Amino acid sequence: MPKRTDISSILLIGSGPIVIGQACEFDYSGNQAVKALKEEGYRVILVNPNPATVMTTPGTADAIYMDPLEVPYIEDIIRREQPDAVLATMGGQTALNLAMDLEAAGVFARYGVEVIGASIDSIKLAEDRGEFKKLVERLGLESPRSALVTSLAEALSAKAEYGLPLIIRPSYTLGGKGGSIAYTEEEAREAIEHALSESPVHTALIEESLIGWQEFELEVMRDAADNAVVVCSIENIDPMGVHTGDSITVAPVQTLSDREYQRMRTASIEILRGVGVDCGGSNVQFAYNPSDGRMIVIEMNPRVSRSSALASKATGFPIARASARLAVGYTLDEVINDITGKTVSSFEPALDYVAVKVPRFELEKFPAGYVSLGTQMKSVGESLALGRTFPEALNKAIRAAEYGFDGLEELTVPEDDGELRRIVAALHPRRIFAIYALLRRAVARDVAERGLSPTAPGAAADAEIEAIAAASGYDRWFLHNFARLALLEAEIAATGPAPPDASLLLRAKQAGLTDRRIGVLVGAQRAVIADAREAAGITAAYHFVDTCAGEFEAETPYFYSSWGETDEGTPVGGEGVLIVGSGPNRIGQGLEFDTCCTLSSMAYRRLGRKTVMVNSNPETVSTDFNVSDRLYIEPLTGEDVIAVMRKEQVSQVVVQLGGQTPLNMAEELEAAGAEIVGTTVASIQDAEDREKFSRLIHRLGLRQPENRMAGSADAVRSAAEEIGYPVLVRPSFVLGGRSMAIAYTPEELDAFLSEAPVLSPDRPILVDQFLEDAFEYDVDAVSDGINVYVGGLMQHIEAAGIHSGDSACVFPPFKSDRTLETEMVAATAAIARDIGVSGFLNIQFAVQAGRLYVLEVNPRASRTVPFLSKASGVDLVAAAVAVWSGQTLRDQGLVAPDGDGIGVGSCITGWAVKEAMFSFDRFTGHDPLLGPEMRSTGEAIGIGADFGEAFAKASTATGTHLPHEGRVFVAVNDHDKETILPVVQDLVGMGFSVAATRGTAAHLFDHGILAEVLLKVHEGRPNVVDHIRSGRIDMMINTPLGRYTRSDDGYLRVEALRHRIPYTTTTSAARAAVEAIRHVRRGEITARILP
Amino acid sequence: MDNQTSAVLVLADGRVFSGVAFGASLLSPEQALAALDGGDASSYLAYFGEVVFNTAMSGYPEVLTDPSYTGQIVAMTYPQIGNYGIDAVWSESGPEEGRTRLVKVAGLVVRELYEGPVHPGRISLDAYLRENGIPAITGIDTRALTLHLRKNGSQNAVICGAADGGEEALYQELSSRLSRFPAMEGRGLLGEVGTTTLVELAAPDASDAPDGRDSSDARDSREGASAHHPGPHLALYDCGAKANIVRELRALGCRLSILPSTATAQEIRDTGAEAVLLSNGPGDPAVLTHQVAQTRELLGEMPVLGICLGHQIIAEAVGGRTSKMKFGHHGVNHPVRDEITRRVFVTSQNHGFTVEEESLPPGMDVWFRNANDGSVEGLRDEARAIRTTQFHPESAPGPADSRWIFAAFLEAIRGYGGGAVAGPDEPTGDAKRPAGPPGSTRKGDR
Repeated sequence: MPKRTDISSILLIGSGPIVIGQACEFDYSGNQAVKALKEEGYRVILVNPNPATVMTTPGTADAIYMDPLEVPYIEDIIRREQPDAVLATMGGQTALNLAMDLEAAGVFARYGVEVIGASIDSIKLAEDRGEFKKLVERLGLESPRSALVTSLAEALSAKAEYGLPLIIRPSYTLGGKGGSIAYTEEEAREAIEHALSESPVHTALIEESLIGWQEFELEVMRDAADNAVVVCSIENIDPMGVHTGDSITVAPVQTLSDREYQRMRTASIEILRGVGVDCGGSNVQFAYNPSDGRMIVIEMNPRVSRSSALASKATGFPIARASARLAVGYTLDEVINDITGKTVSSFEPALDYVAVKVPRFELEKFPAGYVSLGTQMKSVGESLALGRTFPEALNKAIRAAEYGFDGLEELTVPEDDGELRRIVAALHPRRIFAIYALLRRAVARDVAERGLSPTAPGAAADAEIEAIAAASGYDRWFLHNFARLALLEAEIAATGPAPPDASLLLRAKQAGLTDRRIGVLVGAQRAVIADAREAAGITAAYHFVDTCAGEFEAETPYFYSSWGETDEGTPVGGEGVLIVGSGPNRIGQGLEFDTCCTLSSMAYRRLGRKTVMVNSNPETVSTDFNVSDRLYIEPLTGEDVIAVMRKEQVSQVVVQLGGQTPLNMAEELEAAGAEIVGTTVASIQDAEDREKFSRLIHRLGLRQPENRMAGSADAVRSAAEEIGYPVLVRPSFVLGGRSMAIAYTPEELDAFLSEAPVLSPDRPILVDQFLEDAFEYDVDAVSDGINVYVGGLMQHIEAAGIHSGDSACVFPPFKSDRTLETEMVAATAAIARDIGVSGFLNIQFAVQAGRLYVLEVNPRASRTVPFLSKASGVDLVAAAVAVWSGQTLRDQGLVAPDGDGIGVGSCITGWAVKEAMFSFDRFTGHDPLLGPEMRSTGEAIGIGADFGEAFAKASTATGTHLPHEGRVFVAVNDHDKETILPVVQDLVGMGFSVAATRGTAAHLFDHGILAEVLLKVHEGRPNVVDHIRSGRIDMMINTPLGRYTRSDDGYLRVEALRHRIPYTTTTSAARAAVEAIRHVRRGEITARILP
Repeated sequence: MDNQTSAVLVLADGRVFSGVAFGASLLSPEQALAALDGGDASSYLAYFGEVVFNTAMSGYPEVLTDPSYTGQIVAMTYPQIGNYGIDAVWSESGPEEGRTRLVKVAGLVVRELYEGPVHPGRISLDAYLRENGIPAITGIDTRALTLHLRKNGSQNAVICGAADGGEEALYQELSSRLSRFPAMEGRGLLGEVGTTTLVELAAPDASDAPDGRDSSDARDSREGASAHHPGPHLALYDCGAKANIVRELRALGCRLSILPSTATAQEIRDTGAEAVLLSNGPGDPAVLTHQVAQTRELLGEMPVLGICLGHQIIAEAVGGRTSKMKFGHHGVNHPVRDEITRRVFVTSQNHGFTVEEESLPPGMDVWFRNANDGSVEGLRDEARAIRTTQFHPESAPGPADSRWIFAAFLEAIRGYGGGAVAGPDEPTGDAKRPAGPPGSTRKGDR
């Protein structure tokens, strides 16, 4: 069928800010869809309040809105733009839910808008667990035995029938949010209550446990003519019980026979047909019990998903792109697969490699949340690797996850087998390493008994495989592969300290081992291994990802590495430039950096250069097949990237855009002959070196907070005394503010020291003067070495001490002081020139009592670059790329031809506020207190004619609905009692009533404000929590004491989070909220197109 | 496989791939050379053959036992093979339907063999190949082999032990002899496959579940109308039929007379069958003059369904031509378009020859076409009730998307005035799939 001509404009709904369970895969999918629909000649209107995305880059869609994903705003957009259709299947659960809300509000009917991709009815059917279960049964398939409940009593009677453990899932939530497994009576009760409150419709599914069953996922596409294909099959290594997003997964399925697999394939297509998805992609999840052949349908998502992004990268089949075409009427056989250019989309991909995905957890950030995994997703990102064999792909994917493992390594702590076994049984995120430790020990026993020569694991390993299979539910196929790897490692270790011979080296590389790992095994330096390998002529060879296992010639140069095999593709050569991506999403390094990388590739290509992208993150736009001239899915380590450099014969490498990951390998790349584009590695390192940085600050006549470095606990204490409390303390070399703290007193400092990691003269603790009640500013600039363009000054809404990534910020600064702004611009230019910045520069300033301090200088792109680019209308990445390609900022017109060589950007949208998005609700019981450690997972933008509007929108976009009226609960610490007064006075003026803790109430009373006194929890009942639970509190202002002070207010914030009550933890944020409430009370809803 | 033996795959064009042997013990290069020299290599159904690549990611047991692969060495492009072991008794070449010749591939080529534990009731792939005399090689760069075959076409090859010395000369000698070994083009292999005697299979009882099938198939069979109404009596002209064709027809309640490929048209008539199914099979259809002639007699006399080789034989019988493809279609992911309904489905394929469209006489319509390369994938002559598919509606391995073709054929038989058959009940063979392309009557179901 040809494309539809009865529609000409389409509104595409994005997924909003990044949260756990809904990350940049929807930027990737949405971006593909926008491009495909535009190619087909449709006018595309996009709404997504996430400024970090590629899709919201001007020029992507015909009209871009960055308003909150809420019915009134979308209705306003529809009213303005009059689209013919809405496509909601590209924006994750958020967009689907929004589409259902819009339908319920009658918006589609009112404006004559058609929902394409998946109909409202099919969305409802797939999302409503009860209806879906009925459908599954109608199709002759099996669902888990379950009951849909709306009350605790109903749930408990279901529990009585199914026994424990029990699965509890709320209806209509993202990524299984609010779901859990209950092993005990008590857990069950609590989990059911939580699930009911999480569900927007107060409904939950109580289900028999399938824990330990094998878990599979199929990515299916179906068109309007009822043609269907399965694009990819995925097997979870972690069996049922761990959310698929948290499981290590492998594609294609490995352990099913063809008959078993075809049953699943047929069932998945029948389900799409039954649900009525007739123009797009969906995924269907199954549990399978190989011992009795019971196959259970778990769920289906009638939209593109994290799995479909993964499947697209794993197979080379662009699911979202094809889905968008199907949504406008094409059939699968009319859509050409862009990778081969020859095959149609009804050709199911055939892989001739193994694709492994490894989730990335933030154990350090949320230690309490990670005791064990469950049905609620907790990972923040993922890495993908392709390899010719499973061990090769697994080793690559683990090191690509960048969490300190060089591949499948053994846990060295704990040493005790019993402890390891407990980790294995406990669904611990590190359990695969515990499993490997046990298998290595078993293999060592075999080797001790019978020597090294046999290639198969022996009796001890076989027994261990059985024991682990029983405890973990891992299929023996995986465990046997681990044991083989352990045997290979034993063989390698036996050659030490000499490097292994050429044939063993080749086998090691084919198993995915790095030079470093081989070095560790034999007890030699990594360079020794690398030299031996080079001498033996063993180098990486690259294969095409061609979707067809070599049957057709591929047109898209998308590669992965292998060893000892045929090398495909011709080098791009000297005109190429290699861009090192940012790897898996993590807190502090996410979508923003990937967007910078993507935009740089686009900018270079516009200038006629050939780009080579290297990245391991399957969720991103940068790993889309047509963003760069060459794409490599490879781990981001020096060894892997250098190999790509050699393969492509490129020397220019961009390391400024991908966050810390590329910078960490810059020196190594340079040593291997790379020409680092822009600012030199030495200059970048100088900026990170505290002493050199201090000298720079003094040289330029600037000011920084007092600071010391201390290599022992006593030295830390005396440094703090010298500087004066409060102090900011943190270990050297950290990312995203890990392990930082503010200590107001010596006691708090001691508490920090008792928890701090290794403290030694080599790895000292940094002690800084903490600027209390200061305001922070962020500056992003581009420099060509002489001229400097300041993209804009952003003021943080939270006071200093909150990590800049977690702070809301506003552009332009909302408490403006011309003198200070001029001072900041001048300082930026001076610093850029002094360190010879070519490209990006990010500076954090603080202002305390009118005095300017320089907190930090990062000669690289920062996480605010995409936000600032959009709000200022200047693509800073394109400017930097132009600088690197020889155009000065004057050439580009960003700096006036005459004058001081400094240009400054301005906000083109009136006001723009960036608000941080948190996923605290993923970690039940975790205190959502902000501090110097970054905790946010994403960000939203609010654009408005005044600050209040911009802040209200940003706040709404992050899911916090500020109240029009009601009761504000105030509990502030002594530092904040004075500054909070005017805020509370304003709220009272707007008609809010006030409740407060005893101390705060007394202070307010002294200043003429009458507050209802609420008891703290330990003071009796009814207390604050009771009031929150009964819905009497509409907003909370709660500023905590120091992190290490015994305070009992953490539970307040947890409770507020659970009941979705807006809360602020700083007075400045409360002040901003008041401005926004003023806007909210005016009741204006104005969608604003991005100029 | 504790003791690794080096092995090689030598191609007729001189390309040599080194790896490790598994499965049946190998000929030495000298023995291989002697066999080629002495001319008795053609009597080997193992070691020597045309090497083709198959892109299916699972289903190696079905591939290994598919009689159509007789005379061929199969290289699996998916690298991890052997993952789930193999069912020791279940096979695509029988024997549960009464046939005794368990014919199989000439050799198997894989990148990475799995040798670990498998589920109870299965044995390892290595053990299976040893027991069945199939040579195999692992650890070779199957991607390089595939690209080589894609570029240079399928060709003869041998799997043998690695030489102890003088490798280059010895392998070169092997290559040049291999190029004189009978090519697949012009090679008739029907004497090696299929049943040797007439096998009669009564219509299954309602309680019969097809052997060797999993529970879902059993369920389909129980729910099928066939269980309550016996299907027609079919003659299966066995040119090396895959067992799943038999299973599919049995699941539809058919009574079957399975005849050897040497049978005559009269012998087929003598079974009393209402229709005939020409099976898949190995080799070049152009040399099958006997089978083509018998088929020609039957066309128009009774409904005919041809699968794969059967499709090619029918094309030859109506005066069409077949020709050798460069590297054929061997996989389970090929999209095929139904030219009548315009629907597309994913099919299981295994063929190296194709029907030339321009050679077809009027009245013989292209029913199915490959959505990728446009090649002929099936024919249809409504007047004479002729249906053919180049692909495998019985799958095994591969998707069951085109399974409806069997039920549709039974309907065509009824429409042809097959007599004894009761009219179609609802639902037909598959409770969820009407006898026709799925979806064509589906809209109302939702």
